Amino acid sequence: MLLDIQYLSKIYGESCGHCLEQTGDEHGRAICPGCQSVVAVNRVNLRVEKDEVLGIVGESGSGKSTLLQLLYRDIKASSGRVFFQDMLDSDGLPVDILKLNLLETTVMRNKLMSMIYQNPRQGLNFLFSAGGNIAEKIIGAGERHFETIRSRALHFIDKIELPISRIDDYPETFSGGQQQRIQIAKALSSSPKLLLLDEPTTGLDVSVQAKILDMIRMLQQEMSFSMVVVSHDLGVIRHLTDITVVMRNGSIVEYGLTDQILEDPQHGYTQLLVSSIL
Amino acid sequence: MTETTFGFFDEDAKKEIRRALLKAISLPGYIVPFASREMPIARGWGTGGLQVTLSIIKEDDVLKVIDQGCDGSVNAVNIRDFIVSTTEVDTTSLTAKATVIQTRHRIPEQPLTENQILVFQVPVAEVLTTVEPDTARQKNMHAHREYSRLWVLLYEDTAQYGDSRISNRYPVEINDHYVMDPSPIPRYDIPRLNNNPALLLFGAGREKRIYAIPPYTKVTPLTFVDRDFQVETFPGISCKRCGTSDVFFDEIQGVDGTYYYCSDTANCDSMLNRKQNAA
Repeated sequence: MLLDIQYLSKIYGESCGHCLEQTGDEHGRAICPGCQSVVAVNRVNLRVEKDEVLGIVGESGSGKSTLLQLLYRDIKASSGRVFFQDMLDSDGLPVDILKLNLLETTVMRNKLMSMIYQNPRQGLNFLFSAGGNIAEKIIGAGERHFETIRSRALHFIDKIELPISRIDDYPETFSGGQQQRIQIAKALSSSPKLLLLDEPTTGLDVSVQAKILDMIRMLQQEMSFSMVVVSHDLGVIRHLTDITVVMRNGSIVEYGLTDQILEDPQHGYTQLLVSSIL
Repeated sequence: MTETTFGFFDEDAKKEIRRALLKAISLPGYIVPFASREMPIARGWGTGGLQVTLSIIKEDDVLKVIDQGCDGSVNAVNIRDFIVSTTEVDTTSLTAKATVIQTRHRIPEQPLTENQILVFQVPVAEVLTTVEPDTARQKNMHAHREYSRLWVLLYEDTAQYGDSRISNRYPVEINDHYVMDPSPIPRYDIPRLNNNPALLLFGAGREKRIYAIPPYTKVTPLTFVDRDFQVETFPGISCKRCGTSDVFFDEIQGVDGTYYYCSDTANCDSMLNRKQNAA
């Protein structure tokens, strides 16, 4: 098991202390009736195995992106614990990654997991060149040899099928699809064990979407890392993932093999989702 | 006319600056905020260095003030006159004779000793400003030694131009910990910060910041393992006035060509003296 998420919750607003019990799928709401706090993620338990690709689907506001941001420590969790394989303290005990300080978080992001955002402006530093963005990740992982950094950056620019002559160009000179590919190169340059993807192809035209999905799949098989993919697009989920979870009102309503979820949905909401899109 | 106190400031003001200095010396390279005072000259004209100098200078100190290596430039003269008018200390242009040296953008050519304090005037105290404008995040990055964005700038310059394009204010790592801005000294002076016997103090008046490098501290410029730090070299060039080579030069455009003069005028004077005495 690579990632173990236990009772992970995120509450926006002053919690009255009973928010988690009064919201979620069984109550059909994410807003606590007692204190009006928004429960974005409600006691989520989830495991990701090595080389597994997990998809998270759900409607807008169901908490799927928030869950990803909690894992990447972009936002602070309200409660819960998250363990990552091989993240052990000096006594050999598993470390809760929600308790890491900034330096440890940086190390985690540069060595263990990477995030690909829907908007390349979030994942890339537009003040740095394409190669500089990739270099930032490699440098963050501790590399201080220029030639090594340069050759790895070139390697990944080539991997994502951009002309290597464009390595020193700045992100705004690239198209949306190319920017997204640079983001993928940056994310993979530190050979992460887990890749988090938040709506990786939303907003791109269909032919570019297909190309990027193929590329992610190919790289995943070649480099072997696990993935958590958040998407509202069931096509993306079907194309990329082995296992799918369905979220609604901050909690998980269904978990299963992707084929099974899409062909034989059990939960009422999943049935609605599948029938309305397919 | 009211009488001014020794060193212009009242004792409480000097004490506050000295406290900031002590903290800065205890944490080499760490930026300490201080209550930058109103001065008779505008902020940005050396008030940081001036406040540091005025708070540490004693009656028996010998003062030297240089601006870009020159003892005679307007700013250096005015700052020196101001310090003398409020302290009546002796002044000198000879580096070896001075106990307190206030400088802008240069380190004197002649090696400093344990008995000397070098005070730098600093325009921009925070080295991370170029890559992170948010002060709170800057502090957090320093606390966790998260300097990878400075390294990315170095990577980009090395990739496109073969070396960093930074000609002055080259980022340096102090004692394997904080990265700091060494003030706009040329690259030529960067290796001379390392293991320097003198106490090096940095004052930024406009930015209200003080930091320090204690004597004999390890100072290393940010450089890739497989690249050497390059300094300015002046092959085949000697000073038009004193004939010295292998020092840092000022380039002067004359009507009939380019001349080079020693940037450190005191050093130029003594070289000229030595030459004339020999002749």
